[in-house]
Amino acid sequence: MAYLSMGEAHRRIADYLSRFSEAVLSQDGSSLKPLLSVSSNSPILFSLADALNVFQDANRLIKQSDRYSQLAEILVPLFRCLQNYRIEHLVDAYTAFEKAANAFLQEFRNWESAWAMEAMYVIAYEIRVLAERADKELASYGKNPEKLKGAGSFLMKVFGALAGKGSKRVGALYVTCQLFKVYFKLGTVHLCRSVIRSIETARIFDFEEFPVRDKVTYMYYTGRLEVFNENFIAADQKLTYALTHCDPQREANIRLILKYLVPVKLSLGILPKRRLLEKYNLVEYNNVVQALRRGDLRLLRHALQEHEDRFLRSGVYLVLEKLELQVYQRLVKKIYIIQKQKDPSKAHQVKLEVIVKALKWLEMNMDVDEVECIMAILIYKNLVKGYFAHKSKVVVLSKQDPFPKLNGKPVNS
Amino acid sequence: MEKGRREAKKPNYSSSSPDEQRRLRSNNFHSNRSENNAQVSKRGSTCSSNTLDENYGQSQDSSNLPSLVGTCLDMCPARERAQRERLRDLSVFERLNGNPGRTSPSLAVKKFCRTMSTTHIQASDVRPLPVLQGTLDYLLSLLDSSEHPFDVVHDFVFDRTRSIRQDLSMQNIVNDQAINMYEEMVKFHIISHHKLLRCSSNPNISSAHYLNMEQLTKSLLSLYDLYNANRKFNSINRNEAEFLSFYVLLHLGFNGESMGESLSTWFRLQPSSVTKSKEMRFARKVLRFFRVGNYKCFFSTIASEASYLQFCLMEPFINEIRVEAISCINYGGYKLHPYPLEYLSKILMLKESNVESLCKACGLEITTDEAGNKFLPTKQTGFCRPKGGFHEYSFLDIERFQRQTMVKHSRIVN
Repeated sequence: MAYLSMGEAHRRIADYLSRFSEAVLSQDGSSLKPLLSVSSNSPILFSLADALNVFQDANRLIKQSDRYSQLAEILVPLFRCLQNYRIEHLVDAYTAFEKAANAFLQEFRNWESAWAMEAMYVIAYEIRVLAERADKELASYGKNPEKLKGAGSFLMKVFGALAGKGSKRVGALYVTCQLFKVYFKLGTVHLCRSVIRSIETARIFDFEEFPVRDKVTYMYYTGRLEVFNENFIAADQKLTYALTHCDPQREANIRLILKYLVPVKLSLGILPKRRLLEKYNLVEYNNVVQALRRGDLRLLRHALQEHEDRFLRSGVYLVLEKLELQVYQRLVKKIYIIQKQKDPSKAHQVKLEVIVKALKWLEMNMDVDEVECIMAILIYKNLVKGYFAHKSKVVVLSKQDPFPKLNGKPVNS
Repeated sequence: MEKGRREAKKPNYSSSSPDEQRRLRSNNFHSNRSENNAQVSKRGSTCSSNTLDENYGQSQDSSNLPSLVGTCLDMCPARERAQRERLRDLSVFERLNGNPGRTSPSLAVKKFCRTMSTTHIQASDVRPLPVLQGTLDYLLSLLDSSEHPFDVVHDFVFDRTRSIRQDLSMQNIVNDQAINMYEEMVKFHIISHHKLLRCSSNPNISSAHYLNMEQLTKSLLSLYDLYNANRKFNSINRNEAEFLSFYVLLHLGFNGESMGESLSTWFRLQPSSVTKSKEMRFARKVLRFFRVGNYKCFFSTIASEASYLQFCLMEPFINEIRVEAISCINYGGYKLHPYPLEYLSKILMLKESNVESLCKACGLEITTDEAGNKFLPTKQTGFCRPKGGFHEYSFLDIERFQRQTMVKHSRIVN
């Protein structure tokens, strides 16, 4: 580090303080933003942190001057945060930031208009990111990672401050999305429910008022929740909304949405083109889609095994596993089509033994009892129209539409 | 991690290395685990914030409070013993020579009571770890006795083990021994889950069953927290995979929203050493059969691979699946080929006579041919799910497990 004189350090600190208080006085939210973005690694903040480490008495500067003393509750811990962040003491940095954030929220509540909304967004973002990093540090020492949960509590407070009649309302969705990210990371996704209720059913908000960017993120997360709970129609609606309103340039985001939308569509009987999967690098679904097209149960099992960790991690494994019924449907349909070509008059009778043979060919050893069971399920869930005759070990298919398509409806559960 | 007693740490900056300094500074933030009742660790005890709140008392900024260390050397504090003798509030197991007003230190066991906060507790009312271990061993030995009907024994052990858990959390005991004790208590709840189904004499059985289920879930989630707290270098505890598989089996019948987190969410947080373990693979296989409706494989897998404890957990769903299978067969079977009960019995792992009872409970009729063989005619319109709850149809026809229930529990065996 280059030598930093006391004078220069003093100058930098005074400069920052001046900018900060100016922004507050003139109610200029966009000027305040860069002064709060701790994790952005901006040169301004780094050089300020260096200055603070040299000029150890910044607190006196803040408290002495009238201009800054009112903002002392925010600035003093903020400075401490910057210093700690600079030397990578992330737990200390977080704790200090939390103090500053709470003080900021106090002031924010008092400011009548929503001029500081963008600055509040930065605070909401930073508290989450700093908490995540603090927890990493805690975990690396074998300690309990509990800072992210604290960040969640803070964000709930912010949400409370925004859930009202004033112009600050518009920021609520952004904060909600930060909360979603916290809960998803912690695995406590059931906590999303109360915020969702506030956004959707309480009469406080008009969803259309919110910025598009926030609506997309919101629909993405709520869509994912629907996937976890296997409400496929709702999941389809939400994720499709996110997809259609997402900026097409943001390919990484589109990929994230598709990662969840593809299994949903598959569960509704809609198969994506290979081109789409390749364009967005979702090749882990290639074999799953192929298995559905071909009625190849072995391929489905293989695909699930190959990407087991990835699918479990994203939460779509159980959804993909259940596609096996549709794979069976496709297999039986293929047998029917082949039989139809040989002898149309007898095609609608499929011997269970034939299905057993077809499965053996796919290296799946199932006995005739299990095949009868599967056929009974397919009929029960309306994937196959017909009946099974136990004594003659045959499935008799309906002459009309024996393999009804799902057509956007999930399999009856 | 530290084991056993935990005391408040004072920061010590005299060590030389910056890493050491940093570590000690971060210790200062987290010297006492009692504040973690609000936290959820990443590995996924997803409902634990509720669990721990009850066991650990209210959340407080207690990083500077020393952990409580109990000094009560009896299974029940003397103060409570005297009070309950006076009030004649003694369980049958605690009465000296059957006297409802007299007990002794070797018979009385501390009752569970809802405390509001840890600050009002006296050390003399709390039992230290060795005493708690002895108390637990004693309570579990009572399960062998045939003197009293099971539900009476259960009630006593249920309440007294709850008090043990309370004492453990008040003292923040989170070591390996605590893990073993929790594992034993979870096993107790699982076996009760199974045995209470058969205590049809007691009209309150379904509420006892429900409450047992509640504590089963709570202790299981606390156990998961203990596993996480003791995790070293990404390894998993000896029994962890089996006890984690219980979570999956408990969720067989529920959809995500009714029971806290959905299984999909839960799986996201498990390390792959867990999800790939033998016990978890079994649970996931059974889960798949259940979800797809594959009754044939569901039963054959359970019959051949389930451990006794896993079976106990799945029991309520077993009949659910049997009913679904019957519904399915009734729906799709050829009308002119009534379904032989002998075959159905094989598939559903249920004695023929019980198959018949179950079909009748579903509102279906059974026919008999000249040779005396019984059949289920299909396409009957009278099908309905049996009312009255599962305990009326608690068929334990899976042979391998029939033998086990007849074995006395000298120690809860797997």
